[in-house]
Order: sequence, then structure tokens, then C-alpha cells
Amino acid sequence: MEWIDWFSRPEHTKPLALLIFFVTFVGILLYVFGSKKRSKRLESYKDIPFQDDAPDNKDLSDE
Amino acid sequence: MAITTFSSAEQYNFDIVKKFAIMALVWALVGMFVGVYIASELAWPLLNLDIPYITFGRLRPVHTGAVIFGFGGSALFATSYYVVQRTCQTRLISDGMASFTFWGWQTVIVLAAVSYMMGYSQGREYAEMEWPIDILIEVVWVTYLILFVGTIMRRKQPHIYVANWFYLAFILATALLHTFNNLAVPVNLFSMKSYSLFAGTQDAMTQWWYGHNAVGFFLTAGFLGMMYYFVPKQAGRPIYSYRLSIVHFWALGFMYMWVGAHHLHWTALPDWTSTLAATFSILLLMPSWGGMINGIMTLSGAWHKLRTDPVMRFLIVALSFYGMSTFEGPMMSLKEVNALSHYTDWTIGHVHSGALGWVAMISFGSLYHMIPKLWDTKLYSTKLVEIHFWLATIGVLLYIIAMWISGITQGLMWRAFDDFGNLQYSFVESVAAMIPFYIMRAIGGAFFLSGVVVMAYNIFMTIREAKREEAALEAKLAVKMAGLGA
Amino acid sequence: MRINFKHEWIETNIGLMLVLTMLAISVGGLVEIAPLFFINKTIEKTEGVDVRPYSPLEMRGRDIYIREGCYVCHSQMIRPFRDEKMRYGHYSLAAESQYDHPFQWGSKRTGPDLARVGGKYSNEWHVQHLLAPRSMVPESVMPNYPWLMTLLDQSDVADRMKALRTVGVPYSLTEAEREANVKKFGEQVAEQLHIPDANKNLVEQANLGNYDGKPGVSEMDALVAYLQVLGTMVDFTKVNEDELVHSR
Repeated sequence: MEWIDWFSRPEHTKPLALLIFFVTFVGILLYVFGSKKRSKRLESYKDIPFQDDAPDNKDLSDE
Repeated sequence: MAITTFSSAEQYNFDIVKKFAIMALVWALVGMFVGVYIASELAWPLLNLDIPYITFGRLRPVHTGAVIFGFGGSALFATSYYVVQRTCQTRLISDGMASFTFWGWQTVIVLAAVSYMMGYSQGREYAEMEWPIDILIEVVWVTYLILFVGTIMRRKQPHIYVANWFYLAFILATALLHTFNNLAVPVNLFSMKSYSLFAGTQDAMTQWWYGHNAVGFFLTAGFLGMMYYFVPKQAGRPIYSYRLSIVHFWALGFMYMWVGAHHLHWTALPDWTSTLAATFSILLLMPSWGGMINGIMTLSGAWHKLRTDPVMRFLIVALSFYGMSTFEGPMMSLKEVNALSHYTDWTIGHVHSGALGWVAMISFGSLYHMIPKLWDTKLYSTKLVEIHFWLATIGVLLYIIAMWISGITQGLMWRAFDDFGNLQYSFVESVAAMIPFYIMRAIGGAFFLSGVVVMAYNIFMTIREAKREEAALEAKLAVKMAGLGA
Repeated sequence: MRINFKHEWIETNIGLMLVLTMLAISVGGLVEIAPLFFINKTIEKTEGVDVRPYSPLEMRGRDIYIREGCYVCHSQMIRPFRDEKMRYGHYSLAAESQYDHPFQWGSKRTGPDLARVGGKYSNEWHVQHLLAPRSMVPESVMPNYPWLMTLLDQSDVADRMKALRTVGVPYSLTEAEREANVKKFGEQVAEQLHIPDANKNLVEQANLGNYDGKPGVSEMDALVAYLQVLGTMVDFTKVNEDELVHSR
């Protein structure tokens, strides 16, 4: 159980936490922006707010 | 167009949205009027009039409660109900629950204001409501959560649009914060008075965890939900980058909860806590600016709208103020800057550049967009929107400039030493030096308030015209029907 | 990482989104708040730090302080800077607010810090200053508080102390608790903390102090009694400074 003590020391916890967060963050960035195909798919959802306008009414100017 | 909206009024519960939208305006008027009044009390203490109910100490929570929870809260309820219905293309699951959240929430705001004036207060900033009101808030909020999530579950659209994520985070976080920060033991069942479960340092940490996240989730995440729907809609083009919004959402949600302790630098709170909070405050700049860029760049290629469309200008200037105050915030969380800025008017100025510049302006823009749609009409006057915009902008600028100068002056006067190493100024000299800026602040506030008066008139006329049009249309229809029958 | 994760799983599943959002927003609070309840260094326990709970009269005075929203303009938290030391005194210790439910550190100094205002001014000064601040300090922007001269509501003093006892303030209800307080705070203080004697103690202290110079127990008596005790519970001549620095 000694290995648990290693984690409880602030001088170990801090850089470790930073490393975990940073890796997660970079992971998210890579996932989100990494692939062309995925990007295209993810971007396709941004039109949702316009989908409940009149069916053939594709002019987006709301006036 | 008229026909589609007519059918959408059947499809959606717009009645609840209308009610909340109007109350948002009413509370803006009330809360900002009280704000101008207490600002004047600081400039001219005579205005306290020796009446207990309206002294600065009791009216200040009335002001913060009415603007944050009354105006901000009602605007969030209105827009979240509107956005969730339109992006899920389904009606709210229950009209009864929706109506309950409306009457429940309005009761909360009124009770809170009256109880503060009567002297019932928990003594916790932005959470002064005593325990019976807290319980009512809890009930209303859980209903809100069920209603919102239930409506999303019934969506016709497989995908949950990003604005709803932000609204969801706002609702969840507020529930969490409200619950833990208001744990208290009442004196007895018939007493309004209660005592916080926590004491001293732990209590301070809990309160500022609440206090700053009320800013982070109530006043930011919720309004970002607004931004992600109304900016694209008003611009007529989709959000700049959906991928950025994914990063924005998770980073903001995760990081905000860490930063509250930067309100407690140099206090008896253990050092590691506030240092950690400051670190996250700086990191928070990234998602904040990511969100701002996402909003502003939505307009890329259609910048001319800024010139021609004052509603668009409200939305974009709101984002600019958001960017500015999310830069100022991390800066003020640095321990050295905080040593100067804490306890001074600088903090008040910072809050208002966020609250007036960001929260209020994005709400105005969203309401100007939404209200004509709700009543199936056009705005009564774009010119008046233009006037409102300038009154609001000048108001905010006067306000924050006054508070910058007074705050920094205060901070410097407090720490000034003379040649012999004694304090150069007595405390009251710093008070006297503030008076001109308190007056300037009150004037700034009055500008902002008068803008809201203009808006209220504009909206009132818009709705009146809409009702008139509707009546005329019905009369025409009746004549036609009669003609057909004959 | 070949499990083919799709963010759409979250974007199309409200349950998953609820859980993950809750997770994301919970971490920060947990990491920063939870330890404060376990780390015993949060509150100083050294020689000279004899912080006791408030007497019934002071406790009622504190209630009035909260009722009037004094915390909106006055802080009770002195920071460890040279100017604050000269202006207000030694920086505040966590121990000094350990019985404060809620804390009243404040966030704004429209008026000066009050953490160590106790004993700085006479009772008469406080009374006059609360009634008409500008008669003492012409530049002051503080409201007048003439209604503080009304009689203090003493009907639920014991109930208030019981509620505070529930949240952890060592007010005594039983004889055993009283004796524990005698050991911890001494006979005289323990007497003040005994709930069954609350009303008697309150009146006695008000009469003895007679803060407002008038017969009867007024709200003014209670408030001034509270102000006069602020910051007086730590004897800094006995405190070993080396044992304090951990918090800054």
C-alpha cells in the first residue's frame, strides 16, 4: 500500500493532476479537431436552430 | 410567414415564454431603479432617510436579488423554454409545471425583496434569502430541471443542440450550489432566522464557491446558452464552429468550479486553496475567449449587420464586454493585483462590466429578437432600439470607468505611507475622495436604466400593435366567413 | 484509444450528458472544499488564541449586524500587509471566526474593516456614531440607525443558542456540557454559554455594560456589545508567530 502514499504528497499530486488534466484537454482537442471526416460530421449539427423555420424557407434572414 | 408562426404557436408553449419575458423587463426596471437609488445613497447618505427598510445595507440585496434572479433569472427561464422547444421541435412536457415555475419564481423574488427590507437575511452575499424562501427555490428549481430534461427527452430531433447543453449545465450547477451553500438550521419552525451549518473559514469557502459559480453558471453558462441560439438566429448564419463549442462547453464547465477561492486571497483561508483557484482563473481565460470568438466570428462575412441591425449590435457588444471582463477577472485573481483591488470599488466595477455589459446586453438582444417572434409581429421601432443601445453603452462605460478610478484610488490611498513610514491617509479621507466617482457611477446607472425604460416602451408598443393586428385579422376573417356562409 | 468514441453519444443521450456534466462541475468544489474540513491546520490552535463563542448579548448583537447588512460595507478580515497592520492590527486568524455562523469576512470596504474594532472606541462613541455617523465623522456615508434604540427582542434567545449549538457552537444545555465548557473556557465564560441561563445572562451583561446609557436592554446595547468584543479574543503578545505563517 506504500504506493498510495506517493499520491497523497502535494508535490506529487499537483504535477500529476496537471498532467492528467492537460492530457485530457489535448485529447479532447485532438478528437475534436483531429480528423477531417469527423470535423465535417460534428459541424453538421450547427444548423439545428434553423430547422424549425418554414420547411422550404431557406432564406435565413429573419426579417 | 404568418402561417408558420401561427402553427408554431400551437406546437409550442409560447405563453410561458411571454410571461417570463415580460417579467424579465419588469424586474430589470425594478432592480436597476433600486441600483441607481443605492448608488445615490452612497453619494448622498441623506437618501437613507432614516427609514430602516431602505437603508443601503438592506436595499443592496434587494438590488442584487432583483437584477440577478429577477431579471437574469426570468430572462433565462424565458429563453431556455423558447430555445429548448424550438431546437427540440417539441412542446414543453407540461404546461402546469411551466406555470408553476413561473409563479413560484416570481414569488421567490418578491418574498426575497420584502424579507430583506424587513431585515431577514442570511448574511451571505447573493444568497441572503432565508430558509423558507430557499426551500421554495429548491422546489421550483427541481421542477425546472425535470421540465427541461423531460422536454429534451421528448425531442423530435435526435441531436441535442449546444445551447441546451449550456442551459443544462446552468440548471444543474445552480441546483448544486444553492443546495450546499444554504445548509442552515432555523431557530425554530416559525422563525425566519437560521444559522449556517458551516462556520468561519469553511463557511467562507462554501460561500465563495457559491458566489463565483453563481457568476460562472447562472450569469455565464446560462447566458452562453442564449448566445449559442440567438446570435446565429439574428445573424442568419450558423455558429462559427460547432467543434469549438464542444471544447468550450467541457472546459468552461470543468474549470469554473475551481476559481471561487480567488475571492479569498490573503485571508485566513489556507494559501494552497486560493493559489489553486487563481491558477484555474487564468486558465479559464481560454475557454472564455474561445466562446467569445465563437460568438463574434459567427458574424464573419456579414459584418455590415453591425451597422444596420441594432439588435445584432447588442449581441456582439455583449460578447465584447464578456471578453473584456473575462480578461479583467483572471487579472484581478493574481495575488498581487488582488492585494490592491480587493475590498475596493474595482470589484464592483468588474461585476458590472460583466452584469451590465454582458448579461444585460445579451438579454436585451435576445429579447428584442424573441419578442416579435412570440407575438408574430415586427418590433415597433428599430430607432428606439438604437437609442437604447447607446444609452446602455454610455451607461456601462461611465459606470466602469468611475469604478476603475475610485477602486484604484482607494487601493492606493489605503497603502500609501508618508516619509516617516506612517499611513498617509486616514480611512475617511479615502471615503471623501470617492464621492465624485459615486456620483458619476449613479449617473452611469441612470443612463442604463433610462435605456431599459425606452426598451419597455418599445416592447409595450410592439405587443399592443400585435394585438391590434390580430384583432383586425380576425375581424377580416369573420367577414370572409360570413360572406362564405351567405 | 481504438474504442471509436463518438461525442455524439453524449450529444444524443441526455442521461449521459447529465452525468458527465455533473462530474465535470463537481471536481473543483470537492478538491477545494472537502479538505478544509479534515486538515487540522485550517484553524490555529496555539498559545494565546482563546477564542470563545459569543455571550447571549453579543450573539444577539451579531444578529442585528447581519439584519442591517453591515457586511455589505464592512469587512472583518485583516490581510497580512504592513498598511493593514498599522490601520487595523494583526492579520485575522481562522480561529477568530471559528464560531461565526455565518462568517462575516465581507468583500468590500466602503467603511473600514471591523475585525479588531473592539475596544478601539468608547461605548458612547459607538452609540453616537450609530445614531448619527456624520456627527462624529463628517465625511462618513454611513446611514443613521436611530431605530437601534428600540428594545431588544429577547423572546427566542435560548432557541437561537440551541440552533447554534446544533451547528456546532459549544453552548451547553446539560450539566455535563457545562462542565466541559468550564474545562475549556473557564468558569466565567462557561456560565455565559449555558443556554438555560441565557436570558438572565443577557440582561446582566446589558445592565453591567449599560452600553447605550439608558435603562432597559436595547438593540443598541446588543450591537455595541458585539462590536466591542470583535478581535479581542486573541492575545498576540503570547502568540508564537512562527506557528501562524502556514496560512499565508
